[in-house]
Amino acid sequence: MAPADGYSAPPTPLTFQILLALADGNRHGYGIIKEIEGRSAGSAPSTGALYLALQRMEGDGLIEDAPTPDTSESADSRRRYYGITRNGREVAERESARLADLVLAARNKNLLAGTGP
Amino acid sequence: MRRLYQWILSLAPEDFRERYRHEFMDVHAQRARDRRPGLRGVGFDIREIIGAVGLVLRLHVGGLRVHGKGSREGRTSMMETLVQDVRFAVRSLRRNPGFAATAVLVLALGIGANTAIFSAANAFFFRPLPFAEADRLVSLFESNPEFGWTHENSAPANVFDWEEQVEAFEDVGTYASFTEEITWISDEGDPTIFSLTSVSGDLFDVLGVRPHLGRIFHPDETWAPDDGVVVLSHALWTREFGADPGVIGRTLSFGEETVEIVGVMPRGFTFPTDRTELWKPWGWQKAYLDQVWFRRAHWVFPVARLTPDVTPEEANAQLQVVVQRLSAEYPETNRVMGAGLMPVRDFLTMDVRTPLLLLGGAVGILLLLACVNVANLVLIRGAGRTSEVALRHALGAGRGRVLRLMLTESFVLAGTGGLLGLAGGWAGVRMIQRFSPLGITGLTELTLDARVVLFVVGVSVLSGTLFGVLPALRSSSGGVRARLQARGQSGAGGGRLVNVLVGAEVALALLLVVGAGLLVRSFWILRDVHPGFTTEGTMAVKFEVPEARYENRDQVLAFYDRLIEALEARPGISKAGLVAQLPLNGFNWSSQFQAEGWPPDRVGFEIQHRPADEGYFEVMGIPLRSGRMFGPADRADATRVVLINETLAETYFPGEDPVGQRIAYDRAANENPDDNSWWEIVGVVADQYQESLAEAPKPEVFENGNQNWGRERFVVVRTDGEPLAALPAVRSALMELDPLIPISEVKEMRQVWSDSLSRERFLLMLLSVFGVVALMLSAVGVYGVTAQAARTRTREIGIRMALGAEAGAVVRLMVRQSLSVVGVGLTIGVVGALLGSRALTRFLYGIEPRDPGTITAVVALLGVVAAIASYLPARRATAVDPVSSLRSE
Repeated sequence: MAPADGYSAPPTPLTFQILLALADGNRHGYGIIKEIEGRSAGSAPSTGALYLALQRMEGDGLIEDAPTPDTSESADSRRRYYGITRNGREVAERESARLADLVLAARNKNLLAGTGP
Repeated sequence: MRRLYQWILSLAPEDFRERYRHEFMDVHAQRARDRRPGLRGVGFDIREIIGAVGLVLRLHVGGLRVHGKGSREGRTSMMETLVQDVRFAVRSLRRNPGFAATAVLVLALGIGANTAIFSAANAFFFRPLPFAEADRLVSLFESNPEFGWTHENSAPANVFDWEEQVEAFEDVGTYASFTEEITWISDEGDPTIFSLTSVSGDLFDVLGVRPHLGRIFHPDETWAPDDGVVVLSHALWTREFGADPGVIGRTLSFGEETVEIVGVMPRGFTFPTDRTELWKPWGWQKAYLDQVWFRRAHWVFPVARLTPDVTPEEANAQLQVVVQRLSAEYPETNRVMGAGLMPVRDFLTMDVRTPLLLLGGAVGILLLLACVNVANLVLIRGAGRTSEVALRHALGAGRGRVLRLMLTESFVLAGTGGLLGLAGGWAGVRMIQRFSPLGITGLTELTLDARVVLFVVGVSVLSGTLFGVLPALRSSSGGVRARLQARGQSGAGGGRLVNVLVGAEVALALLLVVGAGLLVRSFWILRDVHPGFTTEGTMAVKFEVPEARYENRDQVLAFYDRLIEALEARPGISKAGLVAQLPLNGFNWSSQFQAEGWPPDRVGFEIQHRPADEGYFEVMGIPLRSGRMFGPADRADATRVVLINETLAETYFPGEDPVGQRIAYDRAANENPDDNSWWEIVGVVADQYQESLAEAPKPEVFENGNQNWGRERFVVVRTDGEPLAALPAVRSALMELDPLIPISEVKEMRQVWSDSLSRERFLLMLLSVFGVVALMLSAVGVYGVTAQAARTRTREIGIRMALGAEAGAVVRLMVRQSLSVVGVGLTIGVVGALLGSRALTRFLYGIEPRDPGTITAVVALLGVVAAIASYLPARRATAVDPVSSLRSE
């Protein structure tokens, strides 16, 4: 069974958020939280929820351990970095396309104010 | 907050912890730094805690799935269904707040009581001891069939021989079987009383306890001629010295004696009881080893560390060989002296085992009763929900789904009850700890640890299952038609099952109430036992006359004379006397004796000693039965005289006049007629109770206090008013004679008497509370079942009354029906009580466990309560207008 098959269903919003946060580079746990917070008007998942998701996503092969970047910011060796896998990127792309389709449909039905055709 | 968080996380599966714990805590800590002040910060905390709990729960649930396999879909839907079910259950319970609140409260009571008792049991029996390699530690004790000793404390000389001759003992330490109270005079001159336990220099080494600060004692300090050092408990160090590390090396002044603080023990270490605040080494002299009294007097408890790889059985076998040898070598003291050993935990918890078992049984019954009660409530509610369930079936919900919905409700109830019970139980534990009446050796602090939490979770799940499954099976079964049809008829809603449950409730309640009733009766009997001395208007103060300023006997006795004279001159004090030890105060001294002219093999055992002066008997109101009282002529160098109690006179001098006879405490006195060992009996006084009111007075000898003199005395005074009002007068009288005399214990005799009943009172209090709760629960059950019957039979009642039945007749009919169920329950309960009450034998005094009076009274009480509980709803049902009750369907 190919790993991606497990994700034929859309990922949960939190899974997608994490994939999105990792799409442009590796981050550590706190970095992921900050990124999500910035995108969702300050609301972010609890640390527990984040690690539950991270653990599952690692198990499902969506993300992986990434090398710690050699910058001064990451002086703390305990911080682990996460990176997106090829699988993860595929899932994220598929979900993005699905969401884009939905947004398009919403726009066609005048649900997005001021952006109708 | 952080510690709670860490604790929650420690419950996560190990593989998760290994991989994520550090960074998890790291991220949490970083976010906590960003945390905003005020309410939003609190919101963050709560979200984080809930998130962590959710994480742990889901990891455990999801852990059933092999990593990477199985459909995520399936798991999500299971999880989601669960969440849905819980939400549904909460909604449905909120629609019915009365039912939910009652059920949760009843469960919380049951679970709370169990939590409290389990926490105590946990501390005593399950939690690791604060000793290194505790499985190699054994407690040693002596036994003597002639004295009726089974697990008695030991004579020091014997202990030293065991230590030397039993190879399986790596090392043996000892501690005193009693605590002393000493008065510390602070630098400001304020006196404070501390509790002190004397120990051998190597005791802490044997136990394997390291100090928090400074050092523990050196083994050779057992023998130091001057006991110049003490070690403080952590609690004392914190309370009196502000946890100042500089305390090491400071000196403490106890009246004349000055000691140096050499160490502080770790937090939570209390030994042998949690009253002990500081320890000092024995300070014995080597010369004692050759003296007879060192082998005759029993006052130390030994703890031995076994050499590795030796089993307690092997050690015991070696010990028995040495015991045999010693009894041959020292026949005078060791002729029939046996010894034994047991794991140190068993020994230290020996006294609390049976009471805790009893309480455990009681709370078990209480929990069962709570579950039955809630099952009943659920059933009755289920009856009202028949149509809801039928509708769900009709709409296509499978039986399994409906069953699950109902079970989920039960678990939500049980979970909420469990949480409340945990909180309540915790409060209960604190209370138990505060009263600490079980003679608890406070080796371990009672704390809320994972074991207790797990216990509560287990009990909650168990009770949820107990009260949930049966009603759920019942309500979910049956077709739509049967259910809808059943509506119009009487007795719907599992009438028979409800009856069985109510019967069970009554039976269980009867068990608890009978237990409480027996203890109450027993306690009343005990309370009416006259202790043999006057408890009202008497008080006692313990003091010590220091050697430094009162070198010899005559100086000490002169001080006593002046003290008595000064006290009796004070207003408010009518009489004063002196005694070495108070009765019923936890410390007694006993030995054997022989009377003049007895054959060598005739010996009197276990006679109590209580050196006293004539004032003692007058203050305490102990009457003289024959002979004479001590008098002014009985000076220190006059003929040595004693008074004996009636029990001694009757036991050892039956049919003869003991007055004028002579006794000695040395077995061989008759063979070496040396006048110095004889005491002449000059009078017989009435008995007083010595160890407890439940133990008949033992033979007792009161030596004349001038002739058997000592430096530690209780001065007892008879007061005109409230006893404690005389305390300032006693203090100032002592201070005027010598401002540096240390005072330790201050006791009203009323209090001494009352304290001696504290253990009985405590058990009685707990069991009474359980009994009252049980009574209430069963009343609620009877009320509920009658009310339900009334509701489902509204129509029938209406018809009966429309046909001319009188309200009274209908009420009687319904009450009779409820009471027939109660009657069956009572019968079963009585059988159970007859079979089970023997468990109480050890706690009962002056009353049989199957006391028919108590059982009859309890049956009557429960019957009356049940009658009232069934009358009220029946009365209400018939108060309705027949026409409207017919319309109600």
